[in-house]
Order: sequence, then structure tokens, then C-alpha cells
Amino acid sequence: MQTPNRHDLLEILTRHFIWVVLVFTVVVFGLTIKGYLGLANIANILITGSVLGVMVIGQSLCLMARKLDLSAEGTVSLVAVVAAWLMLPYRETDLAQAGGLGVELDPLIVIPLILALGALIGFVNGFMIMKLNMNFFIVTLAMQLVLRGLALAISEGAIMPGTPAAFNWLGGGRIAGIPVSVIATIGLYLVFGFVMSRMQFGRKVYAVGANEDAARASGFSPARTVILVYTASGFLAALAGWMLLGRLETSVPNLGIGLTLNVVAAAVIGGVSLKGGEGSIIGAFAGVLFLAMVNNALNLMNVDPLWVNAVRGLIILVALIIDAQKTRYAGRAGPSAPTRTVVGDADQNAAVS
Amino acid sequence: MAETRALARSDMTLLDMRGISKSYPGVQALQDADFSVRRGEIHGLVGKNGAGKSTLMGVLMGIRAADSGTIAIEGETLHHASPQIMIDAGISYVPQHINLLNTLTVAENILVGNLPKNRFGLVDWQAVNDDSQARLSRLGLKLDVRQPVEGLSVAERTMLAIAKALFNDARLIILDEPTAALSRVDIDLLFGFVRAQQEQGVAFIYISHHLEEVFEICDRVTVMRDGQIVGTRAISEINVADLIHMMVGGGVKEYGRESAAGHEVVFEVQDLSRRGAYEHVSFVLRRGEVIGISGLQGSGADELAQGLFGLERMGVGEVTIAGEVYRPGSPKSAFEAGVAYLPQDRHRYGLVQLRSVRENVTYSVLDRLVGRLGVLMRQDEQAITEEYIDKLGIVTPGPEQRTLLLSGGNQQKVVFAKLAATQPAVLILHEPSQGVDVQAKVDIFNIINDLSRQGVAIMIISSEVRELIGLCDRILVMYEGRITNEFSRAADDMLPEDILLAIEGGPGDADA
Repeated sequence: MQTPNRHDLLEILTRHFIWVVLVFTVVVFGLTIKGYLGLANIANILITGSVLGVMVIGQSLCLMARKLDLSAEGTVSLVAVVAAWLMLPYRETDLAQAGGLGVELDPLIVIPLILALGALIGFVNGFMIMKLNMNFFIVTLAMQLVLRGLALAISEGAIMPGTPAAFNWLGGGRIAGIPVSVIATIGLYLVFGFVMSRMQFGRKVYAVGANEDAARASGFSPARTVILVYTASGFLAALAGWMLLGRLETSVPNLGIGLTLNVVAAAVIGGVSLKGGEGSIIGAFAGVLFLAMVNNALNLMNVDPLWVNAVRGLIILVALIIDAQKTRYAGRAGPSAPTRTVVGDADQNAAVS
Repeated sequence: MAETRALARSDMTLLDMRGISKSYPGVQALQDADFSVRRGEIHGLVGKNGAGKSTLMGVLMGIRAADSGTIAIEGETLHHASPQIMIDAGISYVPQHINLLNTLTVAENILVGNLPKNRFGLVDWQAVNDDSQARLSRLGLKLDVRQPVEGLSVAERTMLAIAKALFNDARLIILDEPTAALSRVDIDLLFGFVRAQQEQGVAFIYISHHLEEVFEICDRVTVMRDGQIVGTRAISEINVADLIHMMVGGGVKEYGRESAAGHEVVFEVQDLSRRGAYEHVSFVLRRGEVIGISGLQGSGADELAQGLFGLERMGVGEVTIAGEVYRPGSPKSAFEAGVAYLPQDRHRYGLVQLRSVRENVTYSVLDRLVGRLGVLMRQDEQAITEEYIDKLGIVTPGPEQRTLLLSGGNQQKVVFAKLAATQPAVLILHEPSQGVDVQAKVDIFNIINDLSRQGVAIMIISSEVRELIGLCDRILVMYEGRITNEFSRAADDMLPEDILLAIEGGPGDADA
């Protein structure tokens, strides 16, 4: 309506900060690293980014609802092991290689099965958190342990190589030269971007994440919304597991280990707040691109692998600093926030005595 | 002994606060307030909720910084105020809900942080108990020091808190609603103890809504209203009616509205009870009628509002809307039955502050805005938002503005818009004018007036008696969980003094 004032500009800038960073990164890496912007390397970035990307969607939903899903990486490893176990022929475990159960199910049966398994895991998480009033952090952390433990037990700690081609299509196939995983990931971002910005479900997730009490008083059911969010997160983690196994064609029991921090980092870098109720799917996408590009660059620059984690950690910390400042700025800008302290009666002073 | 008495009763000023002002954005919480307490005096401080008592006490305790004004204790001006400075100056606060270490014994609570040790460096429990027992006897307080605090009655805890303050050399003790949860016997016990300390020269500030008790124990009383000190009187020179008159004020232009009440009963509550909250509540609400419900904290009015909207359990009894049984299990079912609720705590229950005006206004009607496959119809959404921005005069740069960035009054209007969009049959408003500026108040009253003319039955729970008188066709007063009095415009008996007296638990009329 009016020309944006300084505050609005500042807000727009903090909201879309990631895109500025992204352009900057492309320019710097493109100029300094030979072959960085070559087709092969771009494809490489996108392929490695796609598994991360799928998981970031699920995690973003959880963060927007002011929750966290630490179990997602456990889901990745469990569904990969279960899929291989159901599809591969039986053989004795030896030399750290294991065979399947022997049922040799068709991939077209296994794929829906593992997706349903992921959704079920998410549902159980959500149910325990919202209906049994358990803490989301501990619930999903414990769940990660359970899932990883199951994956190890089923695979006997061994790898299971040789998943069928039909199963590998999502992770390793190409359509007209473009990796299927990249197409699928971009498709998922479009779908979930639409869901979160234009559909009732998205509206409810933001409301519940920003203020659960007000959401309830507005006629929403926070429990139902959050359970759905976790179910979606579990489903997407299973999809990521399918994609990853398809690319590797070998089930490794520790698949996905340590992914969670990268996933949360990408979402936060993309502007999804840890404090809930804020951020967009498209922003999270930018966060994924950024992280995938940096990881790729660290590889190409031959950074000592011993230092890679330190650099990654630093990037995550910087993203968190920006997230924290953003909320502080928003809190200060509200002229109304302090008024509530005026009106109550003396018992709010009860803490001081 | 005679000497101490003379000193205790002397007119020497202990505390002198001058010209204290404090403002928050949009609200002048304290305006040029002068307040003084003499040595060895029990000084009552009364006023409605929001009159400024808690802000004034906050300044005195050093937890709120005043914009201007001075505080002097025994003639010595304090240049900085912090909680520690005030405690060192001998000012202590005893809250309504006593903070003690409940699982520890009385003795441990008294000596906490300073427990006597034996030569092995271990706590010498014999000394702990003997020492604390001796200290309590000096104050004339008979308590078993070996008993855990959780076993004490509320009155005993209050006295223990006062005793602890005295052990820390307190000279002025602020008692905040000390009798709210006490029986008459316990009140006598507590008052006896307080008077005994007064004899020793300790001064008290006594904050209470219970005016009879103010008359019973105080030497002087100061009345606050709208952030200002109305006056200070010796208790012997004033009666209850005058005191209430000072509290409500007069001569201010009231908001007046024409009644739009019809005959058709829209909402009927029959014998509704919820344990620990309210008992045998019955009333009817007619089409277009506005009724007010007022009561002290703990009178059950707040709980009633939340119960009727399904935010809490409603309890036992029958409620009907247009003849049909109404039992909300959640706010969602309340909305569906045609009941909407404006919460008292706007920031917690009213607004999703991080989200835009558009989103907040349409939360309550999302189900109606859903097209195929759960996609929201953006144009309808936009239209509703703009309609209410226009109708209610919400001042915002646009529908996409985050509600966080709006003023209190405009935030409240956004909540109103959310409710009005559901086109409710019954509207429950909980302190609708709280935390908004004067202009926004008038706007909100106009909104209430418009809605009632459209036939909405409105129930306002508020402690702002004067506002209720201007807005309501009838006012019900709740005291200790029951509706004790009814005032109505028709009977021409809506007098602020009478209503306030009823709210404080004064003589109820028999027919209510």
C-alpha cells in the first residue's frame, strides 16, 4: 500500500537473506574453482542434494510446527535395510555381506511397503508426542535409536549389495539425461510448497507452530495437525531412504548416519525458524542448494577431510546466529508486546520476593 | 518499652515516593504518583485491576524502572533502584502465592544459605533447629521448626514469609492479597501476628480487594485509579461507600448505548457447576442482548467464560443454544455451535502473532474457504480480510502485515474480526478493552454495539465496572463461584458503588 519503510526492507532482507547468499556463493565458487559450473559438477551437486532435499522437506514441516524429527535418519537406514532384505535372495552372511530374507519380493510391492513403514513410524512419533504428552526431542531421539538398532539387527551389521534395477530407478535413473532423483525432488518441493502456502493444512501447521494455544482457540486441533506433520516427515524420510539405496544399489546398515544435523542446518539456513511458525518450503530449497554447493566445493578444493566437519559446523552456527537475531528483531519491532505487563494484577510479581 | 511504642507510632515518614510516572507504549501506567508510608503503620492500597497498584509496587521493589520521580526511605533518596538495593533498604514483598522451599523444614527455610556447621563441616541440625526456634519465639510465632513447609496452612506460610523478611531486617513489608485463601480464623491469626510486628515498628503495605479487611487492619488507605493516586485517608475518617466512590470515580463521560435486546432466548445456562470454579450458575441471554459478568479473581467468572467456550471443561449442568443442547468439547465445536470467544490473554489465546492479519482473520472460517482438494480460495480469503479491515477500522499497512507489528487496539480488532467472521449467535468477550488505548476502546465499544444490533447475544466478562454499565443491559456479579447479584438497566439500579460493593462480597440481595 505504502512505500516500504526501513523496517520492512530489513524484514524482507532477513527473510530472503538466503537467496543473496546463494547468488554470492555461486559467483565466488564459479570464479575460483575450475569446472565448478560445468554440467557434470552441477549434476553432481543436484544428485547429492536430492536425498538431503527430500529429508529437508519433512524436517521443515516439523520445524514449522515447532517440533523436530531426530528419527528421520533412523527411518532412512531402516527402510533401506528392510527393502534390501525383502528383495534380495537368501544367502549365508559372510565376509560382512548378507543376503535377503529369501522372499525376493517385487520392487513394486516393496516400495509402497517401505513408504507405508516410514509413514507409520512418523505417525507413532506424532501420537506419542501429542496424545501421550511426551517430549518430542526425546521421543524422536529414542526412536532414532530403535530404528537404527533394528536396521543393524536385521542386516546383522553387514552390507546387502545388488538391489534390482526397477528399485534403483528413483535414485540412479535418468530421464532425457536428467537424474530422476533431481526431477522427483524438485517435484516434491513444488507440491509441498503449494501445500504449505495455499492449502488449509499448511495454514494450520504455521498457526500451531507459532502459537499452539491460539491455534486451538481458533478451532484447530493441534494434535491432529502435528501427527500429520510427523506422518509426512516419516513418509518423506522413507522416500529419501529409497532414493539413497537406489543410488548406492547396496544397503549399508549405517546409511544416513549423521544426516540430521545437515538436514536441520539446511532448513534453518533456508529461513525455517527453530522457534516455529515461520519459513517457507522454497526457502528451505535454497538452503539445501547452498549446503550441497558448499559440500561439493569442500570436496573439489581438496579441503583436508579432517577439517570438513569444522567448516560445516561453523556454517550451521552462523545460520543459527542469523535465526536468533531475526526473532529478536521481530520481537523488538512489536509495539504491543510490553502492554500485557501493565494490565494484570500484582500476582505477576510473585516471582520476586 | 514506652519509648519504642512512642517511636513506633510516631509520624515519622518511612517511605516517600514522589511524582512517580511510568508509561508503556500506548498506556500511561502511572502518572505523577505520590505515595508515602509512616513508620509502624499498616497502609492499605486499593484500586481495581489495572489501576496501577502492581506497577507502583514494581517500582518500589526495584523490578520496574520509573520514567520519572523519586523514592526516599527515611529521608534518604535512593538514586538507583534494583531489587537488591530495595531489599537492602528494608523493603520486602510477600506475594499472594507464597514462595518457600516446600519440601524442606521450617528451620531450613529460615536459615537457608546460612546453615550452622559443626567442626566437621557438616550441618549441625541441633543448632539449626534451636536457632530457628529461638528466632521464631522472639517474633511470637509458634511453629514446629522440624515440620516441612508443605504441611503448614496458608496463614502459617504467610506468617513464616513475613518472619523471614523480618530476619532480613525488613522495615516495610508489602502484603499482596494475603487473605485471599484464608478462613476467618486464619485471618484473625494472621492479623494478630501482623499487629504484633507493627507494635515493634514494622510498617506494612496491605494490598487487598476485600475492603472490610482494609477497614479492620489498616491505619490509612490510599486509593488508585487509572494510574493515578486518588487520595490517602485515615481509616477513621472514611467509610466503605466513600472508599468505593474514590475507586470508581465519577463525572467521566460514559459510553452509552441503546439496548437492542429482543425477547427470544438465544442462550440459556441452567444450574451449571464445575468443582473449584463455579456453582449453580444460571442465566439467560436474549437475542441482541448484552450482559456483563463481573467478579474478583477467583470468583469463577474467568473460568465460566473458558468453560462455555470449551477451552476448559464446562462442568455439570445444562446449556442450550436456541433450544438445542450445547456441550462444547473443544473451541472447534463451540464455533460450530455458534459460540465465539474473545480471550482475555490476547497474546496467548487470541493471536498468532508471527502470522499475517489475513491469516489471523480467516483462521476461524478456513473450512468455508476450502475449495477442491483442500486448496484455499485466495480471492474469498482476501475479500473477507478486506471487509473486516474496513468494517472494524483495523489500521494496518495491508492484510499481509504480521499482527505482531500492530498496536494493541488493532490486534484486538483482528481478534474481533476472526470471531465476527464466524457470524456467531453468542459472543463471549473476556476483558475486551484490556491493554488497548482510549480511542481503540471506543472503537471496540462501537463494534460490540453493532454486533448486538445485528442480533448477536453478547456476554462480557470484565472488571471494568464503568464500561460494563455503559455497554450492558444487565450486569451479573459473581462472588465465590456463584452469581450473587443482578443489576439491570430496566430496573435502573446499575450504580457503580452498589456493583462494586457486590463484587467485593458486600451484602447481596436476596432475590438473586
